Amino acid sequence: MTSSDTPVLHELRNVVKRFGGVTAVNDLSMTVNRGTVHGLIGPNGAGKTTVINLITGLFDVSSGSILFQGQRTDTLEPHRIAALGISRTYQNVRLFSGMSVLEQVLTGCYLGRGTSLFASFLGTPDARRKWKASRETAMHLLERVGMADRAGELAETLSYGEQRRIEIARALGSDPKMLLLDEPTAGMNHAEASEIGKLVHELRDSGLTILMVEHNISLVTEFCETCTVINFGQLLAEGTPRTCIDNPDVQTAYFGKKRDALGL
Amino acid sequence: MEALLDFWYAYSATLAFGLVNSLFALSMYSVLSAGILSFTTVVFAAVGGFAAAQMMGTFGLPLWLAVVIAGLLGGLASAIIAALFLKLETHWMALASLALILISRVVVLNTPSLTGGVMGMVVPVRASVLELAVLLAIVSLVFFRLHKSWYGLAIRAVREDAAAASTMGVSARQIQMIAFLISGVVGGLAGAAMATTLQYISADTFYLGVAFTMIASTVLGGSFFWFGPIVGAFVFTALPTITQAVLPEIQDIAKGVVLLVIMIYLPRGLIDPRARGLRKAARQRQQSALNGSDAVEARPGSSTAGHAHD
Amino acid sequence: MTLFLEQLVNGISLGSLYALFGIGFGLVFATLGVLNVAHGAYASWAAILGYFSVDYFGVPFPAAVAIGVLGGGLIAVTVDQIGFQPLRGRKTGMLGALITSIAFLIILDSLAGMATNHQSWAFPSSSFPSGMVDLGLIRIPEMQIIIIVATLVCGGGIYALIQKTGIGAAMRAVGWNAEAAALSGVNPRIVILLTAFLAGATSGLAGVLGGAATSNISYMLGEGLLLKGFAAVVVGGFDDVRGTVIAGILLGICEVFVAQYLSTTYRDGFTYVLLLTFLVARPRGLFGSRDFMRA
Repeated sequence: MTSSDTPVLHELRNVVKRFGGVTAVNDLSMTVNRGTVHGLIGPNGAGKTTVINLITGLFDVSSGSILFQGQRTDTLEPHRIAALGISRTYQNVRLFSGMSVLEQVLTGCYLGRGTSLFASFLGTPDARRKWKASRETAMHLLERVGMADRAGELAETLSYGEQRRIEIARALGSDPKMLLLDEPTAGMNHAEASEIGKLVHELRDSGLTILMVEHNISLVTEFCETCTVINFGQLLAEGTPRTCIDNPDVQTAYFGKKRDALGL
Repeated sequence: MEALLDFWYAYSATLAFGLVNSLFALSMYSVLSAGILSFTTVVFAAVGGFAAAQMMGTFGLPLWLAVVIAGLLGGLASAIIAALFLKLETHWMALASLALILISRVVVLNTPSLTGGVMGMVVPVRASVLELAVLLAIVSLVFFRLHKSWYGLAIRAVREDAAAASTMGVSARQIQMIAFLISGVVGGLAGAAMATTLQYISADTFYLGVAFTMIASTVLGGSFFWFGPIVGAFVFTALPTITQAVLPEIQDIAKGVVLLVIMIYLPRGLIDPRARGLRKAARQRQQSALNGSDAVEARPGSSTAGHAHD
Repeated sequence: MTLFLEQLVNGISLGSLYALFGIGFGLVFATLGVLNVAHGAYASWAAILGYFSVDYFGVPFPAAVAIGVLGGGLIAVTVDQIGFQPLRGRKTGMLGALITSIAFLIILDSLAGMATNHQSWAFPSSSFPSGMVDLGLIRIPEMQIIIIVATLVCGGGIYALIQKTGIGAAMRAVGWNAEAAALSGVNPRIVILLTAFLAGATSGLAGVLGGAATSNISYMLGEGLLLKGFAAVVVGGFDDVRGTVIAGILLGICEVFVAQYLSTTYRDGFTYVLLLTFLVARPRGLFGSRDFMRA
């Protein structure tokens, strides 16, 4: 299978995930195309984060397969999947306690360090050069999310919105091909959220593919080219955000009878 | 000058044991800083201690060569044990490592040709305080470099959140394997240092007592930076000497009480780099409050704090 | 044949001590998430308290046992409230509690060493049931029968408490999740205190009875019990009282026969190898049903 000439970058095929007796993801298929922003939406408890965890290898699939650039990833360990070029953020920010802002992002640059752990321990001239280069990359990423002036501070002392931006910078550290954002605007006000949206578009324009779990429907319609709607771990609708929202199944499952109240 | 010599005679033994205990604590720290609670250092030390004693006693090797061999054998032991243990969940690993200490004691008692059995072994060579200090300095240099390297960054990530670290391409298994190997080598060195300081070792030398001292030192000093275990080891070694001068009967009790107080009031230990960052942030908050600005909306105790030992 | 049977009973009695001790140790681990190495010190102290009450005040043996049991329970509750309570709600996890319990092990053992003058004591043979029961074919020490009966009664009682009562359900729930426990309507504080007391009391009972049966009461008494009781808990499965009792008794029988027919030097080694094998190969134990959640 050739991977570079198809538009599909990432694919779920009939993925099932069971926890004990509970089926969290049920026969879900989904494709994400290169260079697009794809939204994954659904009501609370629909299994969106579970899907992200399956893609990144934190959970094993019960059945079905996951392909990235045509390669099966569902049997790989998380760090191998990351090495292929999939990076992510977390719904409830998981920065490392005790690390400065710069160190967080530097950890994100681990895959691109370009030197062995042993050379780095010895401090060979080459390793030092590469370390400096990684630091510069990290600083550059912090500038990109507007956090460069806080580089030396302890990340856990910053505000929630700032921590989210640091997490995005950290996820970009590995120079991924695909970025998974798990509710990147949760807990943000509108101005902050649209800043994130702007950033997402910049990243897409620089060639990154983005899969975004999002709660805020107006943001999805604004930012995503395509989207997948799931409920109870099952596919409900897919296509452009507009067609998804207009789908009657989606409306009953997701919005109930409140569609008018949302002003859509 | 004479006063200085008196001081030296009185306290050089304490200093020597402080150096030896530092090596034990650093070996424990090596795995603890990867998020693993394991007492296998005691086993590595037993391997290193008896090996060094045999090398010098039976084969007449010089001290330094014996110490190096002890380190290598400790590393070899850790490779075998890590292969077996790294599959286990954290709690089970802690328990299994305690069980391994019990087993190694039985093995030591029942292999008299290697260990002297119940009689133990007399070690003919004594390491000077200077030699011990040099050994600790070399090991410290290794930890200093590790901290500054990619490994140092990766191991902190693994300890705080192994799953999140793995999605950044950090293989927790690889990092923990390295941590175990370092623990093994340093543990082997610690055993040899112990043997050449006590000059007599037996099954009881490498048993639960040293395991408890080692974990207490590491926690007291702080397990978030390599210098912590060294500080903790020295405090914990000196403490009985100090209390002995005041009230000889209570020296062990004082040890326990200090440990208890530390756990309740200073759970991250004496040396805690994170505390500095927190204090800095608090100062900034105060300042901005004084300036009437609302620029810093810090959330102390936010979601990332305190994954430390989970 | 007579020797075999007598040794069998001997093994069952020895194993019963391990089981009795292990019940509390496992209960605290499964319910409170604490790997408590000070658990052995409760047994030492209970035995010492029992001995002192006989030696100084001449109380009858049952009263000495009661004093030891009560003492063990109260020490356990005190340790829990001073040492473990401040750690709850803090995310220091198992490591913090383990280190605190090491601190208490050091303190309690040192105090016990001082109280006993670092010597081993024994109940005067007139003060406790030290006779033999003649069962025709075999003769069994009375204390062995008392130990076996006590273990079966305590094991059965605690099993019934956990499985059949409301507070037992709350104890199981705390093991799973403190919030779930709160929902069950039982004050988690009471569950914690009760669990700690029961653990200390059973450990104390094992200490007094073991100290009397072996005529060896010292500050070291708890250490031997701790290691063997720990093995019983691991082999039997952490969350199951029945498993602990069966495993403890099996361990005791194995130890006695290994010592009798192979060599005394392999006696302890056998138990520890079994312990490690179970930890690595079957961490849920022989009878454990689920992974425990906390700790």
